[in-house]
Amino acid sequence: MTRPAAVTWRCGAFSGRVAPRTAVFTLLTLAVLVAVSGLALYSGHYPLTVAEMSAILFQRADETADIVIWYHRLPRLLVGIGAGAAFGVSGALIQDMLRNPLASPDVVGFSAGAATGALFTVMLTGSSFWVLPGAMAGGVLSAALVLLLAWNKGLSSARLVLIGLALSLFLMALVDIMMARLDLLTAADIMKWLVGAFPSPEWSDVALIFGALITLGPFALWQGFALKRMALGDDIATALGLNVSRVRLKILFLSVGLTACAVSVAGPLPFVAFAANPIARRLSAASGACNGSPLLGAAAVGACLTVMADLVCRSLPIGADLPTGIFTAMIGAPLLVWQLTLEIRKGAL
Amino acid sequence: MKTAAYPLSAGGLTLTRPVGPVLDELGLAVPRGKISVVIGPNACGKSTLLRCLARLLRPDQGEVLLEGDPIDRQKPKQVARQLAILPQNSTVPEYLRVFDLVARGRTPWQSPLSQWSRADALAVERALALAGVEAYSLRPLSELSGGQRQRAFIAMILAQDAPILLLDEPTTFLDLPHQIELLDLVRKLNRESGKTVVMVLHDINLAARFADHVFALKDGKVNREGAPADVVTEATMRQIFALDCLVIPDPLHGCPHVIPR
Repeated sequence: MTRPAAVTWRCGAFSGRVAPRTAVFTLLTLAVLVAVSGLALYSGHYPLTVAEMSAILFQRADETADIVIWYHRLPRLLVGIGAGAAFGVSGALIQDMLRNPLASPDVVGFSAGAATGALFTVMLTGSSFWVLPGAMAGGVLSAALVLLLAWNKGLSSARLVLIGLALSLFLMALVDIMMARLDLLTAADIMKWLVGAFPSPEWSDVALIFGALITLGPFALWQGFALKRMALGDDIATALGLNVSRVRLKILFLSVGLTACAVSVAGPLPFVAFAANPIARRLSAASGACNGSPLLGAAAVGACLTVMADLVCRSLPIGADLPTGIFTAMIGAPLLVWQLTLEIRKGAL
Repeated sequence: MKTAAYPLSAGGLTLTRPVGPVLDELGLAVPRGKISVVIGPNACGKSTLLRCLARLLRPDQGEVLLEGDPIDRQKPKQVARQLAILPQNSTVPEYLRVFDLVARGRTPWQSPLSQWSRADALAVERALALAGVEAYSLRPLSELSGGQRQRAFIAMILAQDAPILLLDEPTTFLDLPHQIELLDLVRKLNRESGKTVVMVLHDINLAARFADHVFALKDGKVNREGAPADVVTEATMRQIFALDCLVIPDPLHGCPHVIPR
């Protein structure tokens, strides 16, 4: 047998190949997401039975329980799913593009840029209306700055990561300066958001993040085709007919856009963008096999991670009013250390 | 498509690096349907030339014509359908299976919506067979020997189905039997499928044996070109490589054979 196991589909001029393991993995992750979502709706300080819950979800009774579900738990769950998926895709885009598992938006400074931009506009205008434009501007500016500094007749991955890291540190200092001018209560709230938290999101936040996923997601999947070829190195990708620099710019733009939207609703949740793609890859064995895009897997894993972290954060005993980002960091940071050891062992660092 | 006199040509190619000029107003025209070999001393710009020809590197001045038209003004996808290059150093991930690597060669014929047409499947099967890598098509690159690996890459550029093949030192890291095996394969591709081949080779004797046309580079210029018998001579070797040698006819193949003194 010379062909790997894969399901080939053809329909007129359209065709593709899907590895069974990748498909099964994506479906399994979605199943886990559904299960965790159910749990997230069900559990909380206000006790609800399953029967009550389904009654509220599908009939809308006018009671406290209705408010708990419709104005608290459901938007929070949906923001978690949307932001997690957006972070997952945006991380996968950049990591695969630069062939560097360390180069995720939270590591190369895009998240920090978006957060700084959002914070800056909030401080300037005093309202949260401009958070998204601020986050976009901050993300684009930081990306442009990192690119400008890292560009040297092309984009080398080591330069990008190091300059991104330096920019993140600088932005953190900027944020600290801004925070020093705030009163204590606001500062505490913003501090929490800066770690990554979405304690009481509005439905407009839900609309924002899903709007972003619906508009940018298809473009990201489209770039998945080029992304897979980029894994072969710039020379071979060019030889195969890709315009490498242009593909890079498009992917960067998509990644920054998704990151900015996710940051503006959920704060710069650390490590979700970083961890989703490697986890999806390892479990789905999507390492270049076939043509199925690993982006969907990364989105599903990102959503799962975020909802799980948020669930843990909510189910802690009384008084522990901790931001969700702490828990994504607790999952992600060990992964980062592990990844670093792998890279060091390979001699890549 | 109109047919230009030369499938691939270059004029006035100049590329300057801080250390000095690498290519210096270099011009050349690649004969169609022949195996051309670029030889020259280290750092004479052989690989740079090949990379410029394949638009992997943009020269400071001068231009490369593919079928008569400037290569950088054609669509990248269209160029990739006509010209395939095997670069010297590839950073291909080691976990990739041979089949998947070869399938990537189909990229210029695919799109996000058509990623595995019947033509793709057929071309990949054919490339696997032609390069003789079917036996290990499911193995990841990390498990292959140098020779198998190089064949897998050849299979990839064969799947690309381009009439022009550029090979940058395809025999590096191979032992002599594997070098011959690979060059035999290249010759077979040229004779049977009519591919135009341009390759950089270090070994002058192999170049003399497998080339139809030799470009001898020195100081970023084509110093001499022509049939192996005309280029691989004692005088040229002295001039280009500063090599004092004896050139005799190869007793087996009749091509010139260089014996350094």
